[in-house]
Amino acid sequence: MTGRARVRARGQALTGSPGSGGQPGSPRRPDCSRSDEPMAVRTPQSEKEASTSCGHRETTKLTQRYGLSAGVSGCTLLERGGKTRCNFQDLGVNTRETMAHVKDCKTGFSGIPVKVVTNLYSLGLPREWQLYQYHVTFNPELESKRLRLALLYSHTELLGKAKAFDGAILFLSQKLENQVTELVSVTKRGETVNITITLTNQLVSSSPVCIQFFNIILKKVLKKLSMYQVGRNFYSPSDPVEIPQHKLTLWPGFAVSITQFENRVMLSADVSHKVLRSETVLEFMTSLYTRIDNACFIQTCEKELVGLIVLTRYNNKTYRIDDIDWCVKPTDTFPKRDGTEISYVDYYKQQYDIVLTDLNQPMLVSRLKSKQNSTVEPRVVHLIPELCYLTGLTSQAISDFRLMKDLAQEMHLNPEQRQQRLSQLADNIQRIKEARLELEMWGLQLGCQVSLTGRVVPTEKILMREQTCLPMSAGDWSKDMRNMKIIGVQPLDNWLMLCSNRNGELAENLLNCLKRVGGPMGFHIEYPRIVQVQESPMAFLRAVQQHVNPEVQLVMCVLSSNQKDCYDSIKKFLSLDRPVPSQCVLARTLNKQGMMMSVATKIAMQIICKLGGELWAVDIPLKSLMVIGIDVNKDALNKGSSVVGFVASTNSKITSPKVSVIVVRKKCIPRFFAEANRSLQNPPVGTIVDTEATRPEWYDFYLISQLARQGTVNPTYYNVVYDNSGLKPDHMQRLTYKMCHLYYNWPGLIRVPAPCQYAHKLTFLVGQSIHREPSLELADKLFYL
Amino acid sequence: MMDTNLQKDDLTGTIKFIPPLYKQRYQFIKDLVNKYKPKKVADLGCADCTLLWMLKFCKCIEVLAGLDIRENVMKEKMHRLSPLPADYLQPSERSLTVTLHHGSVAHKDPCMLGFDLVTCIELIEHLEAAELEKFPEVVFGFMAPAMVVISTPNSEFNPLLPGVTLFRHSDHKFEWDQAQFQSWAVAAATRYDYTVEFTGLGTPPPGTEDVGFCTQIGVFVRKYPKNGETVNSEKHTEHAYKTVFKAVYPSLKDEKYLQNAVVSEVLFGADIIKRRLLGNFKSECKEHSDGLEQKLKFQPFKYFMTCSKNLSLAETEKLAADRSMEPFIDGNTVYIPLAKIFSIPKVNQLCGTFEKLSNLIAGKVALSNDGSAVIVTIEYENEEQEN
Repeated sequence: MTGRARVRARGQALTGSPGSGGQPGSPRRPDCSRSDEPMAVRTPQSEKEASTSCGHRETTKLTQRYGLSAGVSGCTLLERGGKTRCNFQDLGVNTRETMAHVKDCKTGFSGIPVKVVTNLYSLGLPREWQLYQYHVTFNPELESKRLRLALLYSHTELLGKAKAFDGAILFLSQKLENQVTELVSVTKRGETVNITITLTNQLVSSSPVCIQFFNIILKKVLKKLSMYQVGRNFYSPSDPVEIPQHKLTLWPGFAVSITQFENRVMLSADVSHKVLRSETVLEFMTSLYTRIDNACFIQTCEKELVGLIVLTRYNNKTYRIDDIDWCVKPTDTFPKRDGTEISYVDYYKQQYDIVLTDLNQPMLVSRLKSKQNSTVEPRVVHLIPELCYLTGLTSQAISDFRLMKDLAQEMHLNPEQRQQRLSQLADNIQRIKEARLELEMWGLQLGCQVSLTGRVVPTEKILMREQTCLPMSAGDWSKDMRNMKIIGVQPLDNWLMLCSNRNGELAENLLNCLKRVGGPMGFHIEYPRIVQVQESPMAFLRAVQQHVNPEVQLVMCVLSSNQKDCYDSIKKFLSLDRPVPSQCVLARTLNKQGMMMSVATKIAMQIICKLGGELWAVDIPLKSLMVIGIDVNKDALNKGSSVVGFVASTNSKITSPKVSVIVVRKKCIPRFFAEANRSLQNPPVGTIVDTEATRPEWYDFYLISQLARQGTVNPTYYNVVYDNSGLKPDHMQRLTYKMCHLYYNWPGLIRVPAPCQYAHKLTFLVGQSIHREPSLELADKLFYL
Repeated sequence: MMDTNLQKDDLTGTIKFIPPLYKQRYQFIKDLVNKYKPKKVADLGCADCTLLWMLKFCKCIEVLAGLDIRENVMKEKMHRLSPLPADYLQPSERSLTVTLHHGSVAHKDPCMLGFDLVTCIELIEHLEAAELEKFPEVVFGFMAPAMVVISTPNSEFNPLLPGVTLFRHSDHKFEWDQAQFQSWAVAAATRYDYTVEFTGLGTPPPGTEDVGFCTQIGVFVRKYPKNGETVNSEKHTEHAYKTVFKAVYPSLKDEKYLQNAVVSEVLFGADIIKRRLLGNFKSECKEHSDGLEQKLKFQPFKYFMTCSKNLSLAETEKLAADRSMEPFIDGNTVYIPLAKIFSIPKVNQLCGTFEKLSNLIAGKVALSNDGSAVIVTIEYENEEQEN
């Protein structure tokens, strides 16, 4: 959450994009640009997006995402209720076997070993453990599943205790004596039914079906702990954490799953929180109504609510709000399944003994996805606001930084607190007999928490123009960099500064500060042409249209408010119609006395990047390397379409295209804690884990590349899905770590390789503001920072 | 009452009830519950717990129990009887406990004592002769609830039902005609001091009125109010049932949830008072009152009207008169007198008494040294520097 929120905050508050970098011979991009192997790196939003690669930076819109499809054995297990929930599309793809150089060993070696505790638990499976899958047929065929279950289960002595049967497929933990077993049962009506049980499969614990089976057992275990499934995770609504000042309720819970890891099947557990509003949608609407202008109530209300998920009071279902129908009232009628008409008021009274207090409330509209048949017109349901609770956060809430702060305080657990919760869960599973039995029945038992050895790779030196620095803290080297010259930038000679009439003084002040910080950096800034405009969004755009000519290197706008349309229109014009880098600054930011020098430093660095300059570098021994970052983002305007960002370090001579493709995931299952002073802490920055918590069929590793100031650090997961570069795993890991040093918007390490973060910024700008492919003239600059 | 309907397909001679008869039976019980408002209800032969599930929504019921001899059938859908996650968001006023027992109606178990209503829907015809013999003693003699409802098929109706040869269901041990059921019922009622009235569901087609309802029902009412305590202790018996399910619903009657709700309301209220005091809230309040006038024209949600009159004029004046109720700022801290907090309608309604409020928030909400005011620290919002 923090990563995204920070980026977003930056993106809106201070985006700018000056630049004059287009000329040939402009400074090279970071050191990584010398190489001969293109390396594609991407950060997917979900695990499904596919990557592409090509030579220059571009954005493309995808209307449809396509999946990295995986061959999965055809068996699906039905859970109670008939839904198949587990997704195991990842299983069954073995990318590692195609890469000869990592077949035997995919681990690195450099760095200092560090012992880390994980959130993984062994399951105590005996090596020879197997699951026996049988197919069961009934003769005569039986319509009723209940009857099929009852008849089969009446043969307890044969089947034993550990059995799972969905009406056709039977799983047993013990093998029956014969390949085919014939049974005879008699129904209560006196009919004789022949049951044939045929062995179809013997599954080892690592098989996908078996893993899925384990996860179903696990769900049963969690239910026995009185936890409720909401979405994928399990929560305890009976022990809520309230944040009353914002009317929020947090349900503590866990994301738990069983997966095949490098050497064995293990259970992973992580703390999860469900955020809910402790008020109904009607109460939310009411308080919104009292706070905003009536004229835009309907519009605002729809903007806030559409897309959110609600939980209904009378059943355990969640619905997405797709629309609000202001014409339908609770006193209106709808047809029941038997064809008779009933009013909503009467229905809820009859069915649930609920009396609706407000007979004028509008209706929430939700379109139900049909599971089997997507061609069938989706069914629409009307929901009563008074009977729905909001889950998650509204956009209003997300922009409320006090709320987010209070929320973070409850949700960000440090390693010690996290460990406490995990121990509690493990303890409950072992202590509560019904839960433990669910596992034991199948020969499973919750073992101890797994510890492993990771490595802390050496700290990287930051290369500046004349000096190098070894940062005190890898999280932030802005202080270490002070008074050092940046690697290179052309002078800013011809530029334009726009501000509203009343912000003239602020702009002057900013100029002075920019010049003062620019000098020591080695960045020469000329006095710009200053244009003062009226205080209106249109005025800025008009001024830009009037004053920008091809010679202008950069446009800077000092905006009075955080108005998105003003920002968007400027960015749109300067990215599409007249491509010039631009830098927007909020007047509020410039009002902070005492902060001006650090604000100016950051703005100066951003301007340098937008001009095509180079701030710092790290030493990369590989020559002629091209690094490509790809990211996908949603388009805010055209719902359903996505923006793909493609960012590459520029390079002149690629001769033999050797390629490594790495999937970068910011979210992953494992967590790592380091033991220090008898308590648990976040492992040091630069910790790499490439054993045990990894997957046998993949060339993968975990890297902690960011400093977590609060909470528990989230390792970043790297999966090298294709690699013909022949780079040793150790070099691949080190190179990845180096890449995390090169994001110019932040003088410190970040959690993904810089190209991924650049691609993210690019897609964010296009998805939020521009909605089209930016002009290619800007393509050689970091105009989107 | 549901309007019922009989449809006859002339071609096949099939009789179909709309809504189906089983639904009419459940609705019959629901109507009875709404009329007599029993607090404790037990369903004997609860099968897949559908009736119990319907009854759990009846606000008058605080204890629901189910009993069945087939444990698996009971377990199949018993999860429907668990509280929903949303029930925890705004716990209800009433308390509710749902319990399922595995056992036979031929056995006595003290967990079935003290009920207001016991229902036996399509149960007795499944009993073996020996069980049926013990049934009146167990239900009327031992459980002795204020009201018992027993329904069973009326065999006189069977010729009108397609495909029914002997009994309507293969597990039925017998099916009675009207006279048989009524004489059995009257005998039991007489013996255990109950009155009984007969009714039924599923009226026969015109011209065949004599056969009576498809389902016959006896409603038994105990003649004398019971002196519960003494009788119960006398009857102390060994437990014969196995409890297979128990769910306690979150309720404000439970101190834990009440405290949670009160603390939340107090902190929410205190936060609003603080903001109002610091002036941040002024503009919002103004908009609020401006909005009200327009709302009347726009036919506002009814809800707005109720929330806008949180404090009546008289109350406001009373508040103003009482100076000790005014919140004030001292240094970095806002002091909000408990009396002021207690005047917040929701807090007032939840706690009832001032003393209760003090008890509930003790240790959960920061209070001034003398305990007379809620204190809120003012944090000056140092917005984070954007990068």
